[in-house]
Amino acid sequence: MEVLPPQAYFATSIILLVIGIYCIVSKRNMIKTVIGIEIITMAVNMVFLSLGWMRTYPAQLIDPLAQAFVIISIVIGGAIAAVALSLVTNAYRHYKTLDLKKLRRLRW
Amino acid sequence: MAVEVDILTALKPIIVLIAFSALTPIIGYVEGKLKSKHASGIFATIGFLVTLALVIDMYMHLPAGGFTSSFPGFGPPLGVELRIDALSMFMIALFCGIGFLVSIYSIKYMEHDTGLDRYYTMLLLLVAGMVGVAIAGDFFTLFVFWELMSIASYSLVSFRKYRWEPIEAGFKYLVMSTLGSLIALLGIALLYGYAGTLNFSALSVIFSKPTVDPAYCYIVITLILVGFGVTASIVPFHTWLPDAHPAAPSSISAMLSGLVIKAAVYAIARSVFTIFAPSVFNYGIVLVVFAIITATVANVKALLQRDIKRLLAFSSTVNIGFIIFGLGVAAYGMHLWATTGANLALTASVIGLIGALMHILSHAIGKGLLFLAAGSFITRAKTRNIYDLEGVGRAMPWTGASFSIGLLSLAGTPPLAGFVSKFLLLMAGYSVGDLFMNIATSLMLVNSVFATAYYLRLLQVCVIRPKGDKVKAIKEASAIIVVPLVLLMIALIVIGCYPWPLVDMAQKAAFTLFQVP
Repeated sequence: MEVLPPQAYFATSIILLVIGIYCIVSKRNMIKTVIGIEIITMAVNMVFLSLGWMRTYPAQLIDPLAQAFVIISIVIGGAIAAVALSLVTNAYRHYKTLDLKKLRRLRW
Repeated sequence: MAVEVDILTALKPIIVLIAFSALTPIIGYVEGKLKSKHASGIFATIGFLVTLALVIDMYMHLPAGGFTSSFPGFGPPLGVELRIDALSMFMIALFCGIGFLVSIYSIKYMEHDTGLDRYYTMLLLLVAGMVGVAIAGDFFTLFVFWELMSIASYSLVSFRKYRWEPIEAGFKYLVMSTLGSLIALLGIALLYGYAGTLNFSALSVIFSKPTVDPAYCYIVITLILVGFGVTASIVPFHTWLPDAHPAAPSSISAMLSGLVIKAAVYAIARSVFTIFAPSVFNYGIVLVVFAIITATVANVKALLQRDIKRLLAFSSTVNIGFIIFGLGVAAYGMHLWATTGANLALTASVIGLIGALMHILSHAIGKGLLFLAAGSFITRAKTRNIYDLEGVGRAMPWTGASFSIGLLSLAGTPPLAGFVSKFLLLMAGYSVGDLFMNIATSLMLVNSVFATAYYLRLLQVCVIRPKGDKVKAIKEASAIIVVPLVLLMIALIVIGCYPWPLVDMAQKAAFTLFQVP
């Protein structure tokens, strides 16, 4: 089976990073902001994996340190998403909307 | 040389904290059955006391090179490594000490809130995370404990979820701080991609070779500085802080302002200084410029505030500017010494780092004290507006006295702790002896004087003026709230009058960071 080189994965992760930042900057929905954070988490994890593979490239294996780190990072990303979504739920109870523009009572 | 110890010995404080945090919900359940309000608070306080005792014991037995520890058969350069040296001990003692006092204060302060078992669970986890950041010997451990600390502080900031302000501030803090950690993680990934290891000492060997590409290194330094700088609230990444501090319960504001942002400064200092030797890489200028911008912007903002907690929050950012300035002087002086051989610059660099550590200490104690005292005022007077709190210090004499000492210490009045640290910082800046540092230090001196203006205004309005209409009827807070305040006040006075043992500790810590034997 033909396998893409790690540079392709690195490029994809940079594209994902840009998409995530665009999502956080431009979207007004709180849940979409959380999705943006998750996209960036995944992009950074993929940067980690692709850089790990670049070190050993012609071989079809990755250093286990990178894999262990990324697994832990995925778990942490899940925990952060849980806290963020619980905050979104509470914000919805207060404001009856998920629009970030309506949440401007603080002086941002 | 570092002494190798068993991993359980090295992890003891964290194991105790996490065990107490896991047991707190059970105590909370029993508490509900017994209709008691203080059981979980007392339990958590015992947890902090045990940890503090363990930490003091560890400090007494600390060998000159510190402890290192790893899992058997899975050690450095790939596996997890814990490293406890003088610098880590300095920070751990601070975290556990302030955590203990905040926990005592919370027993009474939080008694009207519900879900206290959750509060104490998170408080213990927050301190466990910070202790973990301080003892990490590689980026893997550092990142895991960093996120433990961050998640606990997000939940604590939005603890009073029945009000809109904590939810909104908590969400803003979460988004900004998570982005910051992800940027730092990107930096860590680039480090790993270059070196193939995450261990601090292995990385420092690899990056001290002359073959490394400096541009790559500066990109990594920028990513780490920006990433951890969001939590350290360096301007322009500080905007979460003035919202999160007033929204959180006052005890948590004291933890955030006293400890969490200091843990971020520690993470910057530990990773950047250890891996990229300041004698080779010239990032001192960047740190100094960031410090001046941070202090100036936050000072102007603080002067405009009427909300007491918001004012204190901006003042935290100002003091982070001072601490970063100390780190900047250290890095700049070291680089100057390496390029020109000026011995005075080396001395200045060591004094700058000692000053930064002493300022971490004096600001953690002073700002912790101020937030706790402000929380006590706010609970009684039911307002955060400074002008409604007119003369509240006269109505609550003990709280008022400690509040005044805290303000005077932060303003840098001798003989209090704040004077010692600011003096060391400014002395270090002037001893480097080139034009750039002289101008920079003068700007910091102006900032320091400027900060005194609003500290004295706060002192004048809240303590010196006669009692206003809104505070006529209020009485002194209960003894459990006053005791931590008075202990912190005594600490400020004692450190100010007799700083030598602590300066000694800070000096040892500074030498470990520069890897001087």
